[in-house]
Amino acid sequence: MLQEYRRLEGSRIAAPDSALAIAMADDCTRFSLRIAEEGIAQAGKAFGVALPKQIGGMTAAGGRLALCLGPDEWQLMAPLDERDALEAAFAALYAKVPHSLVDISHREVGIVVEGRDAALALRSACPLDLDEMAVGSATRTIFDKAQIVLIRQGQDSFRIEVWQSFADHVWGILQAAGREIALEI
Amino acid sequence: MLLIRCPYCAVERPEVEFAYAGEAHIARPQDPSALSDEQWKDHLFIRSNPRGTHFERWRHIHGCGRFFNAVRDTVSDKFAMTYKAGLPRPSEAEIGKARS
Amino acid sequence: MSTHRISAKGRVDHGKPVRFTFNGQRFEGRKGDTLASALLANGVHLIGRSFKYHRPRGILSSGSEEPNALVGVSRGVGRSEPNTRATVLEVFEGLSTVSQNHWPSLKRDVGAINDAFYMLFSAGFYYKTFMWPKSFWNKVYEPFIRGAAGLGKSPSLPDPDTYASRYAHCDVLVVGSGPAGLAAALEAGRSGAKVILVDEQAELGGSLLSEPDTGIDGQPAWQWLKAASDELAALKNVTVLTRTTAMGYYHENFLGLCQRLTDHLDTLPEGAPRERMWRVRAKQVVLAQGSIEKPLVFDGNDRPGVMLAGAARTYLNRYGVKVGNRAVVVTSHDSAWLAAIDLAEVGVKVAAIVDIRSSVSDHLVRLARAHGIEVLTGWTATGTRGRLRVSAVRVNPVGTNGKAGRARVIACDTVLMCGGWTPSVHLFSHTKGKLDWDEERQMFLPGAPTEETRCAGAGNGTFGLAGALREGAAAGAEAAADAGFKAKASDYRVEGDFECTGISVRELPTDRNPSSAKAFVDFQNDVTAKDIRLAVREGFLSIEHIKRYTTTGMATDQGKTSNINGLAIASDAVKRPAPAVGLTTFRPPYTPTTFGAFAGYNRGSLFEVTRKTAIDGWAEENGAVFEPVSLWRRAWYFPRPGETMHQAVARECRATRQSLGMFDASTLGKIEIVGPDAAEFMNRMYTNAWSKLAPGRLRYGLLLGEDGFIRDDGVIGRLSADRFHVTTTSGGAARVLAMMEDYLQTEWPDLKVWLTSTTEQWAVIALNGPNARKLIEPFVEGIDLSDAALPHMSVAEGRICGVPTRLFRVSFTGELGFEINVPSRYGRAVWETLYEAGRQYDITPYGTETMHVLRAEKGYIVVGQDTDGTLTPDDAGLGWAIGKAKPDFVGKRSLTRSDMLSPGRKQLVGLLTRDPATVLEEGAQIVDDPSQALPMKMIGHVTSSYWSEALGRSIALAVIEGGRARQGQTIHVPMPGKAHAAEITGTVFLDPENKRLNA
Repeated sequence: MLQEYRRLEGSRIAAPDSALAIAMADDCTRFSLRIAEEGIAQAGKAFGVALPKQIGGMTAAGGRLALCLGPDEWQLMAPLDERDALEAAFAALYAKVPHSLVDISHREVGIVVEGRDAALALRSACPLDLDEMAVGSATRTIFDKAQIVLIRQGQDSFRIEVWQSFADHVWGILQAAGREIALEI
Repeated sequence: MLLIRCPYCAVERPEVEFAYAGEAHIARPQDPSALSDEQWKDHLFIRSNPRGTHFERWRHIHGCGRFFNAVRDTVSDKFAMTYKAGLPRPSEAEIGKARS
Repeated sequence: MSTHRISAKGRVDHGKPVRFTFNGQRFEGRKGDTLASALLANGVHLIGRSFKYHRPRGILSSGSEEPNALVGVSRGVGRSEPNTRATVLEVFEGLSTVSQNHWPSLKRDVGAINDAFYMLFSAGFYYKTFMWPKSFWNKVYEPFIRGAAGLGKSPSLPDPDTYASRYAHCDVLVVGSGPAGLAAALEAGRSGAKVILVDEQAELGGSLLSEPDTGIDGQPAWQWLKAASDELAALKNVTVLTRTTAMGYYHENFLGLCQRLTDHLDTLPEGAPRERMWRVRAKQVVLAQGSIEKPLVFDGNDRPGVMLAGAARTYLNRYGVKVGNRAVVVTSHDSAWLAAIDLAEVGVKVAAIVDIRSSVSDHLVRLARAHGIEVLTGWTATGTRGRLRVSAVRVNPVGTNGKAGRARVIACDTVLMCGGWTPSVHLFSHTKGKLDWDEERQMFLPGAPTEETRCAGAGNGTFGLAGALREGAAAGAEAAADAGFKAKASDYRVEGDFECTGISVRELPTDRNPSSAKAFVDFQNDVTAKDIRLAVREGFLSIEHIKRYTTTGMATDQGKTSNINGLAIASDAVKRPAPAVGLTTFRPPYTPTTFGAFAGYNRGSLFEVTRKTAIDGWAEENGAVFEPVSLWRRAWYFPRPGETMHQAVARECRATRQSLGMFDASTLGKIEIVGPDAAEFMNRMYTNAWSKLAPGRLRYGLLLGEDGFIRDDGVIGRLSADRFHVTTTSGGAARVLAMMEDYLQTEWPDLKVWLTSTTEQWAVIALNGPNARKLIEPFVEGIDLSDAALPHMSVAEGRICGVPTRLFRVSFTGELGFEINVPSRYGRAVWETLYEAGRQYDITPYGTETMHVLRAEKGYIVVGQDTDGTLTPDDAGLGWAIGKAKPDFVGKRSLTRSDMLSPGRKQLVGLLTRDPATVLEEGAQIVDDPSQALPMKMIGHVTSSYWSEALGRSIALAVIEGGRARQGQTIHVPMPGKAHAAEITGTVFLDPENKRLNA
């Protein structure tokens, strides 16, 4: 197999005393699933995890993750080697429940932002009220000039999903925010 | 920066997540070829531009992606209400209620 | 050294000297000083020269409203800033400052000649003076105005500092930390609400910092302040931001707060940002901005040494500085009396208190006399003396008829004036909140709010400590309650607070000719009372017009000290009440704010998103020159050492036509359209017919706006019955997807089809040239590459170099071509593999310039270059791309509007210059007769123009009125130097039979 080009591979942003740790997430399988409401239950079966019905909702099991980003839109995430199986499962569903499943594994990169000041680092360019963002929720939003999907994995743990070519920009701002946090300024 | 309530997400979000998309309730004619040049011109180019209550379309482009409709005051800039695409134009009474 | 320092007074750290320079002279201040207080401590009042008349100016105030004391600040290389207010600039070790607006020196300034030509520079002098003769404008007037314009020196080096941004949300935002703001923040903070308290000064306290002697709840004011500050600091739900200016108040309680992080530090922490712009969304806002003291308007009120009485009190009590040794107080308000008494108590000789009011509270009069101060009530000030510092003030009794009597001259080195206090309603005004005029007190007060906001304290017209605490506590408690918290306003007991009153006056009465008085209203813009009256005489009746004509209130201080005086004088001259004349609109920012703070992180490499493809790094390592294409940076050409751009592009073109070129086409927009109604959707969106396009085939798609003009184009592949792979222009990707979503969601929600952006899922390598197939054959699995199985305009899925691919047989060059889509993380490795293998064919990477040349040789258009939003498919020669049998598609109806069918429309044609070596300028206009009289009739313009290496001559595309019917005719293209003749041709210059394409 060919050498994959991974943006920002090995890059790290850190502040002392576990205030902040930012790193690129491992590769994974990603699909954008678009399906009408009546198909949600069956799509959940095909995915192996019931799909969240509320925008912002997130469900997870066995390394698979489903984020509801719009009224008929989900981002499905799974381990790398499950790509083909998932594609086949949805293909089997298509005739009965038409939908759109598009591989976006390479469209996005993940940036994991963790630590006591994780939310503070994000607030450098994210206009959302992060105090109001529940653990286990996800939303599309904007980070400076880049559109992102923001996932709150834990109280002090976030993951940004962003299109490849916007990742450098997001990273640059997180770096600046990380410096401020390290300097406590 | 305005706060806009997305009727699909059912939350208020900052304006930077949204894009304006022109006047609302201007449906594309079912059969444009049946329209006279004059009627087609009106459909394409003529907009109401009121001072005060304005019905307009917005898109939660950096959110759920949905187009929706809004009632906004062009003097104060503020939104009175938002509602899903396809719903009828709200009445004066409904707008008044939303404002209060 | 510090001749005017009183070490028993003030909050500065008397044990910590700080050395700084002003105009090269060394001075010593104290930690906690501002530049103004430190200079005053050294007896320096002369700070700069005024804008228009170059009059010597001193320090008027002690806060951010300062109009006069503007200095240039240097913090080291590249760190220079003009027009910094000395009254807010904190001194630090090594600070270097200079005065402004003079030549050759502050004390001897040639520009002061303007002061002597005072009559010439009256209101509207620009409009009157520079009108005629017309020929003077370019050579005389404009250079003169430009030379004289502006205050201070702009920095000439790039700013080495960085700036930060932060979003925040809170329940209650309190602006101002005087007594009202503190009380509000305490109540809201105790309730558990998330509170942000913001103050522009270095420490909390506001007016309390100037009034240490009052008592709150049995404690001296400063002790209470300490306790209150400590309590707020201990509350985890409260964020206190000092050195932070609430600079703008926007919709829905969104405020911009500019926090100064490092300007006050002796040494800068490595990598620390200088300022941070907070963007705060608050559920509730309490505005406790306080009030600003008004100057009095009389002849010579701008001389150094003449300052606001409240400022003098602040310098004494907060900074431990006496502003002079012999003062005269001129006032219409009680508060100046308190300043006089404070000064007298530290040994300043207060020669007299001159109060325009005929009667003043007995208590104050007794106090003053007890301090040995002469009391002159019912007196006016009519002039000052002294050149660079006031040396005396001329005062006169005012008779019952309002006329000034015989003058008396009182020697002094300081004049302290007070014309009352103006509630600071700026932020409230930003929200378009209504201002109510208080006729009795002659002030505008916050009226009905448009936001969830409350005003408290002096900013709400509630003067005095007791009132400020009461109103602040109430506002804080109510705001917390409205944000959903339980709160109850505390009671405060206040001792020793004197309830001040006063009156408002216009210009002070004088016994001299008022038309020769230099009685300043706006100090920064040098506007006098006379100027305002002149403007009214000349017919300007609205304050908005008066403002623009006289420039009053238009300086960087937005008239904080001058607006109300200006309005009062204008309303008197117009003979209409003040509200009818109106108050000018306050706009953000409240005080001057750096561009850096607004830009935040968006400078340098983060100025804008720079999108790079997966292959960009290879291009960089291989010497590509880049060009921006929308947000992308794209390889433009790949020069070899010593090659010019022209040579590089010619070589890349040759190599591609002769053997093999490779091009990174990853930026192409891509949209995956999936669903049972995918073909129907395509039929409705694009001009072309899609139903009969077989899976595995490609078609050129043309997208119009509903107005019938070309919006975008691209090659579209049908992967299966229900799945299309759409490509768009690089710059059009987001726009096209948004347009499609719009139709799908709002016009045709019944269609079962969904759209997904896959632009960044796929890296795209375009291979073009006779050897393209030979190169990829060994690497491709699962796809028959023969011309029969994969003809031009077809697509197949398989693998290349072991990774999945969607292989397009397509060409944008006219050569045998493939566009290899691979998942983007593999893009670079596939590129490198093919590049290495391609050496046997002299494979040549090429950039966007060569791509443009090759496509132009074939007459392929670039939307946005050859089209400009006014071209129909027929205009562009693309009538063939319209599915004529289709009942409807976006834009179809517009194509039959009469204007769209008119014969004179501009049409896309080719041009061949008579001189084959001449490459026309893109954008150049086209005329029929180059010798016609000006202005020439222009019949079109050049849209694309290149040197064609394949043809050994130049080629161009152009739009020309009725152009297609004019093939063979000669037109002319005027360019610098000469007009070039060119022949109109078809748009295809090379291989019109497409032999190379179908090879």
